[in-house]
Amino acid sequence: MSDRAPGIGGDLPVTSNPSRWNSDVMQRRVARRYASERRFRRIGLFAVALSAGFLAFLLLSMVINGARGFTQTEIKLTVNFPSIAAGVTPAALSAKGGDEALSGLDLEGLAASEATAAYGENGAALLSDGAWLTLRDAIKSDPTLITRKGEMWVPASVEIDAAAKGRGDTANTRLVAQLKTNGQIKTGLNKTFFTSSDSTDPTVVGIWGAFKGTLLTMLVTALLAFPVGTLAALYLEEYAPRNRWTDLIEVSINNLAAVPSIIFGLLGLAVFLNFFHMPRSAPIVGGLTLALMTMPVIVIASRNAIKAVPPSIRDGALAMGASPVQVVFHHVLPLAMPGILTGTIIGMARALGETAPLIMIGMRAFISSPPTSFTEPATVLPVQIFLWSDEVSSGFVEKTSAAIIVLLVFLMTMNATAIYLRNHFERRW
Amino acid sequence: MPLSMIAVIVLALGAIAFAAARSKARLFKPVGTERLHSRPNYHAAHMLLWVVVPALIFVAMWSFVAPRLINQSILTSPAASELPPPGIERDAVLNEIRDLATGKLEVSFNPAAEQLAPVYRDARDHYTILGGIAAALLAYAGGGYAWTRLRREFRARNRVERAVMVVLVAASLIAIFTTFGIVISLLFESLLFFQKVSPAEFFFSLEWSPQTAMRADQVGSSGAFGAVPLFWGTIFIGAIIAMIVAIPLGLMSAIYLTQYARPRFRAWMKPLLEMLAGVPTVVYGYFAALTVAPAIRDAATWAGIPGASSESALAAGVVMGVMIIPFVSSMADDSLAAVPQAMKDGSLALGATPSETIRRVLVPAALPGVVGGVLLAVSRAIGETMIVVMAAGMAANLTLNPFATVTTVTTQIVALLTGDQEFDSAKTLAAFALGLTLLIVTLILNIIALRVVKKYREAYE
Amino acid sequence: MASHKMSARDVNVFYGEKQAIRNVSIDVDKENVTAFIGPSGCGKSTFLRTLNRMNDTVVGCRTEGRIELDGEDIYASEMDVVLLRARVGMVFQKPNPFPKSIYENIAYGPRIHGLAENKSAMDHVVETSLHRAGLWNEVKDRLQESGTALSGGQQQRLCIARAIAVDPEVILMDEPCSALDPIATAKIEELITELRGRFAIVIVTHNMQQAARVSQRTAFFHLGELVEYGATADIFTNPTQTRTQDYITGRYG
Ligand SMILES: Nc1ncnc2c1ncn2[C@@H]1O[C@H](COP(=O)(O)OP(=O)(O)OP(=O)(O)O)[C@@H](O)[C@H]1O
Ligand SMILES: [Mg+2]
Repeated sequence: MSDRAPGIGGDLPVTSNPSRWNSDVMQRRVARRYASERRFRRIGLFAVALSAGFLAFLLLSMVINGARGFTQTEIKLTVNFPSIAAGVTPAALSAKGGDEALSGLDLEGLAASEATAAYGENGAALLSDGAWLTLRDAIKSDPTLITRKGEMWVPASVEIDAAAKGRGDTANTRLVAQLKTNGQIKTGLNKTFFTSSDSTDPTVVGIWGAFKGTLLTMLVTALLAFPVGTLAALYLEEYAPRNRWTDLIEVSINNLAAVPSIIFGLLGLAVFLNFFHMPRSAPIVGGLTLALMTMPVIVIASRNAIKAVPPSIRDGALAMGASPVQVVFHHVLPLAMPGILTGTIIGMARALGETAPLIMIGMRAFISSPPTSFTEPATVLPVQIFLWSDEVSSGFVEKTSAAIIVLLVFLMTMNATAIYLRNHFERRW
Repeated sequence: MPLSMIAVIVLALGAIAFAAARSKARLFKPVGTERLHSRPNYHAAHMLLWVVVPALIFVAMWSFVAPRLINQSILTSPAASELPPPGIERDAVLNEIRDLATGKLEVSFNPAAEQLAPVYRDARDHYTILGGIAAALLAYAGGGYAWTRLRREFRARNRVERAVMVVLVAASLIAIFTTFGIVISLLFESLLFFQKVSPAEFFFSLEWSPQTAMRADQVGSSGAFGAVPLFWGTIFIGAIIAMIVAIPLGLMSAIYLTQYARPRFRAWMKPLLEMLAGVPTVVYGYFAALTVAPAIRDAATWAGIPGASSESALAAGVVMGVMIIPFVSSMADDSLAAVPQAMKDGSLALGATPSETIRRVLVPAALPGVVGGVLLAVSRAIGETMIVVMAAGMAANLTLNPFATVTTVTTQIVALLTGDQEFDSAKTLAAFALGLTLLIVTLILNIIALRVVKKYREAYE
Repeated sequence: MASHKMSARDVNVFYGEKQAIRNVSIDVDKENVTAFIGPSGCGKSTFLRTLNRMNDTVVGCRTEGRIELDGEDIYASEMDVVLLRARVGMVFQKPNPFPKSIYENIAYGPRIHGLAENKSAMDHVVETSLHRAGLWNEVKDRLQESGTALSGGQQQRLCIARAIAVDPEVILMDEPCSALDPIATAKIEELITELRGRFAIVIVTHNMQQAARVSQRTAFFHLGELVEYGATADIFTNPTQTRTQDYITGRYG
């Protein structure tokens, strides 16, 4: 070859020593390189382990804290109802206006005085501030109670509860041990946690209100985002002409998928609340806001599912004389449905864990009774977690973690469903 | 809600019309060899659309108009003379009247409300019945028109399919409306804000204390809206501390899982790491505030670092970094997978060890994709709200000390909009200006990231 | 008889359950170019890749038998793959320059093996390697440009220069010209001829004329077996096996 300078090829210095690969220098170098190889590999494994460790630590700390939240210590109390309810008849309580009659009774004082009578002068401190609610609910479910003495288990105070779970100070621990030998205290499943709503007293709080709010909100989100997302995906994949409008839609959807969730909260606040004057804190507004946030996710997932349906199926149906609309709704959509549902569930799972936009539209209100309609003030599980995490009372720590466990169980169930759908129904062509 | 009753009735009418039209269309017989253009279901669907759609549109509009009409009739009733002048107070009374009438309230605070409740009830019934009749008439008229078209040769299918198309287009347009809704509402409120506070102050001034006093004559009533400390806090937590955690862990995890791990290990580990992205942010926030932040503060105090706060930038940043790991690792995973095997073979065939191949060939080749992923992760991190709300503080500090408190854009948006204040105070509007800034920055980051990733994909087509 | 650089004895290669190479024994000469020919899927690439243990990187691939480089068993546990591959270089079917500058592409091998003490030594290695690959005059003014910006033929010569830079003893080439046009092919063939003698060269090719032009010895593979191995002239003019005869006359493959 003409451009090969004569002579240069002959004196390449590295060729002079054919046994250089076996030289000591080279052997040491190779050993060093292998050591660095092992180190690199170990760093990689360490990174994986550390990341997984974070997850494990997070979940573990929630489980350890939260497990206590599912149990509640109760104290035995013998209550002499007639002492404060002379003249009140069961019939009056079950009749209309009974609630008012009931709220006229000093159940709080009764609980305190009975506790003092049973457990000495500090007896009232054993009980939760919300202990009287147990009395009220008992009377509500059985008004005849008002005429007699009743023996019931009422929630213990935060300190006693902690001591019963092995985390109290020495005085309380001794007290609890003594009560235990007398059979006056027990720690059992905290049913209140699943049936009641928010409260200022950690011993009587529950997630039912927030949970119902979540259900209502998610229902609105699903009812809006699923059809709109699916239809938009169908249009973009199957019919949309290539023009500026379509491009604009695509750009919008891709950008919306990247917009921080709090911006959707601002949108909800400015548009739904301040412009349309929709009710503040309501599931309908929360659902709408989350639907706008979830829709792009569903559109993107649905488009992928629709794209995966082979063109041969469309061609086949068109050849049989079906109209384009029939082809899509009779053939393409059913085949793409598992993929669309998978995307929808994943999008819904994301919405379910979302907190910030709902805070923006006022779903952080203190809601002590479960919402009964889409327009009533409500809160949702993640926001409830946020609110409880702000509480100073130490009794809220375990409740917050317990609520987190419930939320995580839900999310995992949804994601597992999505994975199941993907693995079992999604056909590959 | 009586209006929903009207809607149900309209739908019931529609169902009846659908059945009627279908049974009539069933009788159509093809003439000669020509096939029927539309099957009975299409004729029926055409009928259904005409009965239901105009009536329902009317009901929707009526639900906006009726409350106003009802208020009107309350205000014109003789008892209304005792009502307070227009304003918040009057609205409160009107609300009370409504709640009394619907039975939500049993007793009222305002005697006028007690008197006007029956007026409200009458007016409501009146307008509901009026609306119901109008809706029924519309349904009837629509149905009548459709019935006249119900003939053998009528091309009902084309009409119905056109209606379907309209629905599809409308569904797609919602994305545009949402985008415009976001942009316009943020822009509008931000412009109002910038009338009160100059953009120069907002973007360049160093002092942030938006606590506008309640009374105008109170000291320090003006409030300071220099957002620079917020921008710094956001960058410090989301783009620096979080990335210092997420980039090495995410990248090394991706490298280990794609290049070294056995398939079984990878099959288990990859979804496990992805779970990190699925944990709700409020959970991370709680974890950061309850566990990480106190630990970091104690460690800093023990080490004698001054200014250690229990709401440190480090705590929020580290936890956010953990949350971001899967974003970085999945982008890195994709980018590494996109580097052709031939490139790897070329390096190995020269006698490079796997780690040399990874460090000197694979990672540099995958770099644009990784950078794109990191940009996406940053845009995600700076828009993240709950972790910083719960674990970072409220104090707007311009500090480099990771153990000190800083505040972020999202934290301040939440802080400004929770609590009671009028909607158009500078404080509230500032939240929208912050939101607009956040939106623009995240979108720019995303656009750049997607460009980079796309270019990179094309390079290996 | 020429001295043997590498020799294989009773080599079997499996991909999982599937056997791709059956009982192949072959010697590769030091001064000659050896061509592997045979129909597609007969195992040429597989066998070539056993010679520098590139098959180790394929999951599920298993090699049996003995392969020696200068009398050393390359599958022995003392044998270091990294050094083996430095001694037995490889050029692939599709040019695969690294997405780095031309200079860095060449310097990559010497750098990882520590073959150049300083910058000027490295410059020298780069220049010599490019000269030997016949690429110097074409790229000497653009050494800092990306290697991927070259034409296909130039890229392939860059890959050959990259292999040469480590100063291997054997160069394995797997269809190095199949992605190139005739002019680029001619250049590579000329280059192979120039390099012969300095390096033992094994080339896989589908092009019978190419095998005849550049090689002195030819091995014909069929269905994982080595059917015939001998001087190129003999194989092409006077094959002893009918399968070889059928293949070179174009009856199949
Ligand atoms: N990574 C692999 N995994 C499983 N089987 C493989 C793999 N690589 C090659 N094979 C199989 O081994 C056999 C030999 O393949 P090889 O690539 O060596 O053939 P070849 O002679 O180089 O063919 P070609 O001329 O087309 O390059 C083929 O049957 C092929 O299917
Ligand atoms: Mg091959």
